[in-house]
Amino acid sequence: MSTAGSPNSAMRGFLDNLRAAPRRILDSAMRGGAPKTDRTRSTFVFGNVFLHLHSVRTHRWSLRWSTTMGLGIASTAGFLITLVTGLLLMFYYKPYPDAAYDSIKDIHFVVPTGRFIRNIHRWAANVMVIAVLLHMARAFYTAAYRKPREFNWLVGWGLLVTTLGLSFTGYLLPWDQLAYWAITIGANIAQSPREVTDALGVTQSFDPGGLQRLLLLGSDTVGEEALIRFYLLHVMILPLALVLLMAVHFWRIRKDGGIARPSDAEKRLGPSAGDTYPVFTEAPAKTYQLAAIVRGKTSAVGSGPENTVPSMPHLFYAELAVLMITVFVCVALALVSDAPLKELANPAVPENPAKAPWYFLGLQEMVSFSAFMGGMGIPTIVLIGLGLIPFLDREESGTGEWFGGAGGWPLVRTSILVGFVAALGVETFAIRFGWIREWLPSVPQLVITLINPGTVLTLIYAAYSIWLLRRHNSTRAAALGLFTCFLCGFVLLTIIGSYFRGPNWTFFWSPTDWARH
Amino acid sequence: MTIKAGKERSRLDPEPMPRRDFLGLSALFAFAGSMLFAVTGMLRLPKAAVLSSPSKKFSVTLPDSLATGEPFVPPGRSVALFRDAEGAYAISTTCTHLGCVVKASAGEFECPCHGSRFSADGSVTKGPAPQALPWLKVTASGAGLIVDEGTTVPAGSKVTV
Amino acid sequence: MKKTKHLLLWSSVGVLLLLIFAAFDENMLKEWRRIQGAASAQDAPIDVGLRQVVTPGLNVSDRCVSCHIGMGAGEQGILGPGVVAPHKPIPHQPSEFGCTICHGGQGRATEKRDAHGDVRFWPAPMLPVRYSFAGCGTCHAPLHVPNLSALEKGRGAFERLDCLACHRLDGRGGTLRPGGGGMEGPNLSYTGFKGYDPLWHEKHTRHSEEAQRGPWKDSFGPVGDADRESLAVFLASRIGAPTLIEAKALFHSVGCLGCHKVSGVGGDAGPDLSRSGEKDPGQLDFTHVPGQATFSNWLAEHFRSPASTVAGSQMPILGLSEDQIELLTMYMLSLRRRELPGAYLPKDRIQATRFGAREFAIDGATIFSAFCAGCHGADGRGRRYPGTQPFPAITNPDFLSIASDAFISETVTRGRPGRKMLAWGEKDGGLRPDEVRSVVGYLRQLGGGVAQQPDPSPARWVKGDASAGKRIFAAFCAGCHGKNGEGGEGPALNNKVLLSAATDRFLVETIGKGRRATAMAGFSISSPVRPALSKGEIEALVSFIRTWEAK
Repeated sequence: MSTAGSPNSAMRGFLDNLRAAPRRILDSAMRGGAPKTDRTRSTFVFGNVFLHLHSVRTHRWSLRWSTTMGLGIASTAGFLITLVTGLLLMFYYKPYPDAAYDSIKDIHFVVPTGRFIRNIHRWAANVMVIAVLLHMARAFYTAAYRKPREFNWLVGWGLLVTTLGLSFTGYLLPWDQLAYWAITIGANIAQSPREVTDALGVTQSFDPGGLQRLLLLGSDTVGEEALIRFYLLHVMILPLALVLLMAVHFWRIRKDGGIARPSDAEKRLGPSAGDTYPVFTEAPAKTYQLAAIVRGKTSAVGSGPENTVPSMPHLFYAELAVLMITVFVCVALALVSDAPLKELANPAVPENPAKAPWYFLGLQEMVSFSAFMGGMGIPTIVLIGLGLIPFLDREESGTGEWFGGAGGWPLVRTSILVGFVAALGVETFAIRFGWIREWLPSVPQLVITLINPGTVLTLIYAAYSIWLLRRHNSTRAAALGLFTCFLCGFVLLTIIGSYFRGPNWTFFWSPTDWARH
Repeated sequence: MTIKAGKERSRLDPEPMPRRDFLGLSALFAFAGSMLFAVTGMLRLPKAAVLSSPSKKFSVTLPDSLATGEPFVPPGRSVALFRDAEGAYAISTTCTHLGCVVKASAGEFECPCHGSRFSADGSVTKGPAPQALPWLKVTASGAGLIVDEGTTVPAGSKVTV
Repeated sequence: MKKTKHLLLWSSVGVLLLLIFAAFDENMLKEWRRIQGAASAQDAPIDVGLRQVVTPGLNVSDRCVSCHIGMGAGEQGILGPGVVAPHKPIPHQPSEFGCTICHGGQGRATEKRDAHGDVRFWPAPMLPVRYSFAGCGTCHAPLHVPNLSALEKGRGAFERLDCLACHRLDGRGGTLRPGGGGMEGPNLSYTGFKGYDPLWHEKHTRHSEEAQRGPWKDSFGPVGDADRESLAVFLASRIGAPTLIEAKALFHSVGCLGCHKVSGVGGDAGPDLSRSGEKDPGQLDFTHVPGQATFSNWLAEHFRSPASTVAGSQMPILGLSEDQIELLTMYMLSLRRRELPGAYLPKDRIQATRFGAREFAIDGATIFSAFCAGCHGADGRGRRYPGTQPFPAITNPDFLSIASDAFISETVTRGRPGRKMLAWGEKDGGLRPDEVRSVVGYLRQLGGGVAQQPDPSPARWVKGDASAGKRIFAAFCAGCHGKNGEGGEGPALNNKVLLSAATDRFLVETIGKGRRATAMAGFSISSPVRPALSKGEIEALVSFIRTWEAK
């Protein structure tokens, strides 16, 4: 406030302010100054609402490509790409059965860049699912779920389920034959608890299967109610859930002390490439004011890990690199391969074979033997098992190491063999000889629900895992074996479901043998 | 970025000028450039390449009984067609003020929204309309006419039928 | 860190290059852009951009006009590659309904193969150009189409009487009036829709008498009654799609409606054909179809050899010529009548669906050739297909001379329950009483104008020994007519409708005199392999046959 100034100096002052305004506007946004010193690098990170989810300093071990392979960032990148391309697609997509298919055709043919954006969206979705699965495998094999990261493992579990849900809900939106029949199967799998309640005769009073299907479809058939629900889930509810879980996930990484690393990580890192100076050369000028004294471990504030580097630029370059590699892969795939679009959905003409999205084909393979077990039973067992891993394996050796813990890589190698061979064996038997109902037509359904290739395979894996538990006297060994077996079984069943199942889900060595074309 | 630690330094001291990081800078520029190109391309998407309204050109046949100066409005079109001794012509019935449809009658056009009035040749006689109603291009085609709502012609252009 | 920077740098450069290529591909490498760039208009250069014809009521957004520029609304004088030429003159402008309504194909596409529907997942590819008239069938139901010979007769009369001298018809004929004033006579290509003056002959004659000189005096002559009738039938079929009408007339000439329904009228032995022109080629089996895997090739091969094209088909090989197959394929492709919003329904379709107008002409000859000829032969002398029981001769003079009109009507109306002869008068999609009457009259005509000999005897007068009849039946009749009269080589005799309609005299005469030129001999005459049957024996047979009536 001008006190003694004459009107002249006030006017000059006003004009000076007007002239200086543009630079000052810029400066107000960049308060810390360019990130050239470690101090400004720190303020760059924690002074920015988007960046301050990162820690200011990152441990050198976390930045090694072999530690994480960048899979977490790749998953995030996949999500960002689907988010952006999905938003663009929303300009033209119409979520009503009469208009949906035609709107996708319009996107493909007349919308500027429409074909390209849609292709990217579809490939990025697949890249995201694969990245998420590989990331989970990485976190498991490096035992990164151990204390104190158990909760983060559960958050990641939630992210896995949400990602699969996003992919599944998006699958229906084109409203073509592929979409319609895949979701018809999916909804009927949701109804599969009826297989058990029917066998027990209680469906009249207790029908969770029917309820699940009704909630999913909003009606008793796949129609406009289902489409609008799936659309709502796909563009609003699940992305919000994903973003919230991601925020928690990234925050937890930080608060749990960064990416899990082995106890001798410092030693193995050795000296850094360039010279670094110690983190603290003198007593810090600013101290944290203690509001209270609390028990227990807190996040490291006072001590400085020596092997850290500023996140800006080290971590950010790495994140950008992974992002751009993911973008490159999605764009390249989008250029050479169009997103599928078959004929308009026709409830009177079932697709034969009607196949679920690829990540559910392993399940569909098992569903072909028992709807309940393949569709609900075994997935539930798997999900519960996954969730329990950090609570059953409380050992400490090998955290942060690839294949760390009892058994190591040789155990995993053997388990890969066991996983594939067991799955191949059970599948070969079932394909060659059929299953119980072909030999004993009148056997009660409950018997088949309990004894089918899916449950048999699960029991084989479980038995192997328990054998490993006793042989190595270690829950980690059991976990390593079981996880690897299920992973290999999943891969094999997915391959069989994708390439070797033709019309009526009959086994064919090659698609050229299918009767029709 | 790190610097050589020749002597005990405080991290709070300003650093000496580092060597230009060409690799890093070019990586960042490449990143920014590709993202900028991508965003520019994505900005093209919302602009519809093809409009879902009917074509601006349409064919029409004037009824034989149409008197001189009597307007003929083809159904669904904002155009009034006339025929007189000199030929046929078309005047747009979209008010030049804010786009309402003017009512055509023999001798004048009247806009119901804000009361603009136009004479028989489209020039403004009253009202907030800033400009005359445009005359539209008419071509003869066989027994009928083709009117092109997208092309205006000077007032007074008529086509012999 | 260096490695990271390199990764970032090269992946970003890669992305940028890919995006630049994608931008180039979308904007420069599109075929429609190239075509529009090569085209020009007479008065102003054309705007380059996607174009489409939109008809919201029919859910049509046809982008064919992006390449076929000359066919767009109001486009005139577009010069350039052949694809930009304007549409041939047709009754409906492309801007009225779009293009795919008539031609099929994928209107929303902007690439040639996708737009023509020659791609894997498009169920309705474009009709081959030579079958374009089949597209009329999407909306229209041509009414009162006679059989081919009646059509040819009418066309022959039209050409023989030189009506083409003054009148244009289906793209031929007509003369310009000297001294201006248009054509000498009106264009008759659409008389099926627009109608024409019923007093034309009187007016023509009057003009001709009053004229002093010129074509009226020299070229016109009076037209006989028979010719005028043929012309009336012919003109009623003119709807601007001559090949389609010819195809439909052929369809009404080879007896297809005896086994198949079209628009709710026809037999039940084969599938309903009303929408068989819309089959999805992706769902068809082409293993035994030579040539390209197109729907029209499949249809043609199906006519040549039904059982090899469709597994389990009972349709016999009809022995059609290649020209006939071509025409019938066109007609099959036209059977694509989809649901339309009321505002778009043409009059003929409303007439057919709501007011019961017939799509076939209801004269006896057409009804016979459309419904009966497939089984009973074009001449009514019966037919035999491999693997099925033979169909009897119904124009046999020996039959017609003893069968009353009531008997034949009853047979047609109530059929032979349990056998292949349908109850044409009683079923859904059958014939109406007046139509039955016409076809009965035509049968007599086809048989040579044989009237029934008067029969004064009562319907039932035979009193024979049924048990003796049983023995005689087993000896002489069961071989062809079945042990219990259920039929075999010969017709079923234990049939309720036959027995209730046939008089005793009919049965006695049939057994005694037989049917000339068929396997049914006259049993009152001896043959080398059996003695003649006496009157009493024949009456015993009839009494035995009558015992089946009670069952």
